[in-house]
Amino acid sequence: MSAPQPSAEALVSVSNIHTHYGKSHILHGVTLHVGAGEVVGLLGRNGVGKSTTLKTIMGLAQPSQGEVKFAGRAVTGLPAHKLARLGMGYVPEDRRIFRFLTVMENLRTGLDRRGVTAQRKQELLDKVFAYFPVLAERRHQPGGTLSGGEQQMLAIARAMMLEPRIILLDEPTEGLMPRMVSQIAQIIGALHRDGVAILLVEQNVPLTLQASERIYIMEKGMVRHHCAASDINVNDEAIRQYLGV
Amino acid sequence: MSAILEIFAAIPYDQVLIQTVNGIVTGMILALVASGLTLIFGIMDVVNFAHGELFMLGAYIGVVVLATTGSFWLALLIATLIVALLGAALQIVTLRPLLGRDPLTTILATFGVSLVLQNYALWQFGPVARKIQEPITGSFQLLYLEYPWYRLLIAALSAAIIGALWLFLKFGTWGIWIRAATQDRVMAQAMGIPVPWVHTGVFAIGAGMAAASGVLFGPLVGVTHAMGLDWVLKAFIVVVVGGMGNLGGSIAAAVFISLLEAYASIWVSPAQAVIVSFVVLILTLLIRPTGLFVPTPK
Repeated sequence: MSAPQPSAEALVSVSNIHTHYGKSHILHGVTLHVGAGEVVGLLGRNGVGKSTTLKTIMGLAQPSQGEVKFAGRAVTGLPAHKLARLGMGYVPEDRRIFRFLTVMENLRTGLDRRGVTAQRKQELLDKVFAYFPVLAERRHQPGGTLSGGEQQMLAIARAMMLEPRIILLDEPTEGLMPRMVSQIAQIIGALHRDGVAILLVEQNVPLTLQASERIYIMEKGMVRHHCAASDINVNDEAIRQYLGV
Repeated sequence: MSAILEIFAAIPYDQVLIQTVNGIVTGMILALVASGLTLIFGIMDVVNFAHGELFMLGAYIGVVVLATTGSFWLALLIATLIVALLGAALQIVTLRPLLGRDPLTTILATFGVSLVLQNYALWQFGPVARKIQEPITGSFQLLYLEYPWYRLLIAALSAAIIGALWLFLKFGTWGIWIRAATQDRVMAQAMGIPVPWVHTGVFAIGAGMAAASGVLFGPLVGVTHAMGLDWVLKAFIVVVVGGMGNLGGSIAAAVFISLLEAYASIWVSPAQAVIVSFVVLILTLLIRPTGLFVPTPK
């Protein structure tokens, strides 16, 4: 349990959050942090509270206790739309593409913000279309008509429109073909090179260990293990104990 | 064969033509009322029982402004703006605190608002119907009828307002926000869309459209505190038949039902013809509860 303490310059720091859904107590005091530009993996079996952790950070679930800080500022209880404008991008597990909006309109939900010049908008679009050429081809197609992999690309591209400082990425490779999985891994690398921090929730352990600098492992609503990604491999005791592979 | 020919020969084609024009005119104004209602339902899941009263209030503000300024167009504009602002205030005060609660609470809240507005109008303006003078009074010959130009103007203006709404929803940033929030409120928020304000904006737009239709329709029926009741009932039927929350469906259903009623009143009295819309409503609920004018759900 070599647990590095949250550094002063952590971009997102979560301390001791408890989150409930109705009567069920999902998070029992989760503490973690993500540094600026850092890729951090969050591993754990189904139902241990990984997605709820992301939702709580994003302001989509309200914690009953604990604090979320973003860029040094307490943001607990702030509504999601304010957090998004502060630079937090969210790519949910089920992608949640606006099915009846075209690809372009999906992107515009994040792009049409005050203070973004027409030139900057074009730059951002050019950038995602360079990453995901298929989205440029389908820009006038409704989001619901895209394949699963394309929808995942659109979900990531849509979050990039916010020029986020961090992207909360929930199971981006779930249900994708191997070719798509490696493409998602490349995108995570590209975002990392651009200085975007990523908190990655994944079931794909090898991909997470390869893409992340640090990892947290959760069990029963708490963080049980925390280490540098390079200090652990797929066959380690901790992985076997908490992920049961 | 000869029986079919006899049936065709028995159709009074002149009346059918006149009733087609009538049906389209009423249909367009109904579409204007219903599109505000369906927009509000689509984005907020709120069934706005006060919609008819916003329609009525628009007509009364029209009466007052027309009396002071003498300009129908100014009355139309001011009534729309005032009721839109009132709608925004109502949404913030009564509906925003109820977000996420049982839909019944919003039904009761809007029903309460409708009672307050109706009795306010009765107290303020009294039970006697007021008149709005139409801005153009000419008529033209439609077969054996003197058909007022104003009726055609209403249809054209309603179509123009609905067309403007469509363009706004299709291309404007706010339009994209509204459509995104209608499809997935939570994800819209996570994309930085200020969903609570989008709700307020939509309610204001719906209220303004109701007020505009009230002023436009005022010259045909006279303005009373209860004038909203008939319209909102019909608008609800249209919204259900067109597919709850589906704008295009509501417009199609408004014209469809108005045409059916107009044709029916060739053979039965207009009061009996109203039955047609209820029959359509019941058949829709039995056969295709998602709405007649929506693509088959997957």
